Amino acid sequence: MAFSDLKPVCVNDEESGNTYIIGSVFAVYGMIGSEPPLVYSWDMIRMVSVTRREMVIETAGKSYTIINKLFANTEEILRTIAIIECRQKEFSFGYQHEKRMFPLKSMYTECSPGKESYTGEGVLDDGETAAAFIMLLNFKLVKFLWLIALLIMFVTFGILHLFIGITRDNILYFVPISVASGAIVALLVYMITHAAARAKFKKMADADLATRQPITFVVSRAGFAACESCTYEGRDLVPWSEMDYFIESDKMFILYKNNAAAAYIPKKAFEKKFVGGIADIIALSLEQR
Amino acid sequence: MSAEVKSETIDLNGKSVLLVSVKNGEAAIGTCSAGHTTNGGGTSTQTRLFYIGNDPIINLICPNHGNNQLDKLVSFCPGFQGYEPKIHDALGNSFKKLNDGDSLAAGLSDIFGLLEDGVYAVYMADYYPTDGSGVFFWGGYNISHEVRGTAERNRVIGPVRTFKPCYLIPTEPLDYFAAKVKVNTDEQVKRRRVQGIVYHLSGFHSVLLKGHHGAVSCIDRDIPFSCAVIEKIATPYTDIIMPEPVSEYMPEEPAPAAEDGETATPAPAPVVTPKPVFVPDGITGFRSPSVKIPLAAFPKDMLRLIIEGRPEYKPRQFDVLIAKLGTTRRKAVSNNVLPYSVLEKSEQMPDCEMIESAYAIDKLSDDELNCLLRGDVEHNGEVIVSPNFYSSIVTACNFLQFSDTKRFVDFSIAIMDNPDLVATHEYVARRAAGQSSNKKLYNFFKSAVDGKEAKYEKIIPIAQTFVNRYNEYVK
Repeated sequence: MAFSDLKPVCVNDEESGNTYIIGSVFAVYGMIGSEPPLVYSWDMIRMVSVTRREMVIETAGKSYTIINKLFANTEEILRTIAIIECRQKEFSFGYQHEKRMFPLKSMYTECSPGKESYTGEGVLDDGETAAAFIMLLNFKLVKFLWLIALLIMFVTFGILHLFIGITRDNILYFVPISVASGAIVALLVYMITHAAARAKFKKMADADLATRQPITFVVSRAGFAACESCTYEGRDLVPWSEMDYFIESDKMFILYKNNAAAAYIPKKAFEKKFVGGIADIIALSLEQR
Repeated sequence: MSAEVKSETIDLNGKSVLLVSVKNGEAAIGTCSAGHTTNGGGTSTQTRLFYIGNDPIINLICPNHGNNQLDKLVSFCPGFQGYEPKIHDALGNSFKKLNDGDSLAAGLSDIFGLLEDGVYAVYMADYYPTDGSGVFFWGGYNISHEVRGTAERNRVIGPVRTFKPCYLIPTEPLDYFAAKVKVNTDEQVKRRRVQGIVYHLSGFHSVLLKGHHGAVSCIDRDIPFSCAVIEKIATPYTDIIMPEPVSEYMPEEPAPAAEDGETATPAPAPVVTPKPVFVPDGITGFRSPSVKIPLAAFPKDMLRLIIEGRPEYKPRQFDVLIAKLGTTRRKAVSNNVLPYSVLEKSEQMPDCEMIESAYAIDKLSDDELNCLLRGDVEHNGEVIVSPNFYSSIVTACNFLQFSDTKRFVDFSIAIMDNPDLVATHEYVARRAAGQSSNKKLYNFFKSAVDGKEAKYEKIIPIAQTFVNRYNEYVK
């Protein structure tokens, strides 16, 4: 089991008088003196939902809400999420979460990275990641932009013909007007979608606490890791078989699973001389698109 | 920071259980996951290590993503270099203290500090110095193989019952055996109160930390191998209270006898309403193989220690252990071999199938055995052993073989004599063949061999071997 050595997290809720311990079991200590505690093994948990505000752990008869503010620091929240995701893999309870920038801990397996492995660390750069989002958008959008431009061009040409009528005198004006209108609309669409992509990244970054934390990146023949440094144990990897393909930009490698970006690995996190070797390992392990 | 060791004896339904908690332990003795190592056989298998100090001792390969119902592949690590002196001394001191009359808590105090954090149950129990399949434990794990009874959750016993581990895994390689040392231990074992110290590893198997030569002497001299057992309590359990049907109406008096010309009205049938299944909110407690302790019975600080425990402790020396996994020790040149009598007696010891069955069944009455012989799996509307007939016969045979040899012989002969139960003949004959000196079985097998009846077709080769062996035995 990956991340099995994580220290359990103890959260004290003064308002309800409960103390929660999330570790190999989920325990709820009531008010002082009311021991023994209520202890749930993870197979008794029905559902866990993690949002940027709180975590809700549901059992057969009860629901426990732990507000993120109760945790001593961000590392503790991330550790709790890691513990929950690992137990989710083992016990298959329901798990709801917001979109992530990095793979869930349930995708990891414990194995040695081996000799041919590259390790780097760094905080995800907002500008670089937003640029990557836009690049991905361009990938999808570029063919549609041509279509939109052509469509708008023909539509404009048709409208002009319908209302004014094409004659030998004005056709020379109509063609450039149609082309320009197509280009302007395409440009507008491009700008709007860029703004949307940037907003999407910002929303995702705000929702995922890990984006503001130092991340350890590991690339090896056995798999890769992109995990908060405060929880990473050094022997947990996502096997390449978990991913489908990758896209390489000038700043990062973006790994895909089920046509959605599952991990962003910035080249900046590694020493420059290693980037070639990393690219080789990823290219040997996944299809490039 | 030095280890904080506390011991407390709790009372569980009249039985006292010694609990020991270890905080800030050195984790110099314990187990840890090694993930998917290259020699593990693919990504679906997990490797676990039992280590002492900087030495990986036992390699446990757990198939199917560490499924706790499957037996493990066990082998002695070739990278073993020998204990550090500090650990060696701690084991020796503890062993000496126990035999000088110290209590378990006091005697084992040196060892507790070497364990990883957690709560342990400590008790005395007799062990069979075999691997659970009739092979003497010391030489039984040189090659990685599936060892019966190493699953954490035994499928025959089920998840509810407790059982006492009783088979051994060595922590020293076989070439450490020296006939000269055995000469001394042959005398010492007669006086010893505690013959060995064991640490529970998985399922029915524990590793022997101290007392390897003593085990050889004990089996050779037919002395029970009593061990001080250290068992980690960490597995949560939940007791679900199953409903008992309760009759709401029961007639207090029998219906009056019919008078002349009147027909008696039958008494109304009792209305049976089942009670709902009681599923408690949260777990009932924590358990080890041999003991189940409810949450309320734990001392508060010990319970907190279990709850705040991690599923896995990676020792500080983890990288050293992993590095040693790939190395091979240069074996000592030794002409010492285990005495033949030891190997022979190991074969006669109860095997894992028998012990499993003994824990799975409380008792089997003659009526129940007769039902099984008729091919029924139920007696008075209740399943006798298992709804599966073959499984019922196998378990019943093993249970009887362990608990009552005479009834076992009678039962096996009755099965083998019944042509309707031909599917079970071969298995039962193999089990019965273990009773190599039984005259009744000899007579039966002899008649089967001589008669050459069709119904004995499947057991003829086994019967022939048995007869030959018996004849040699008599000579």
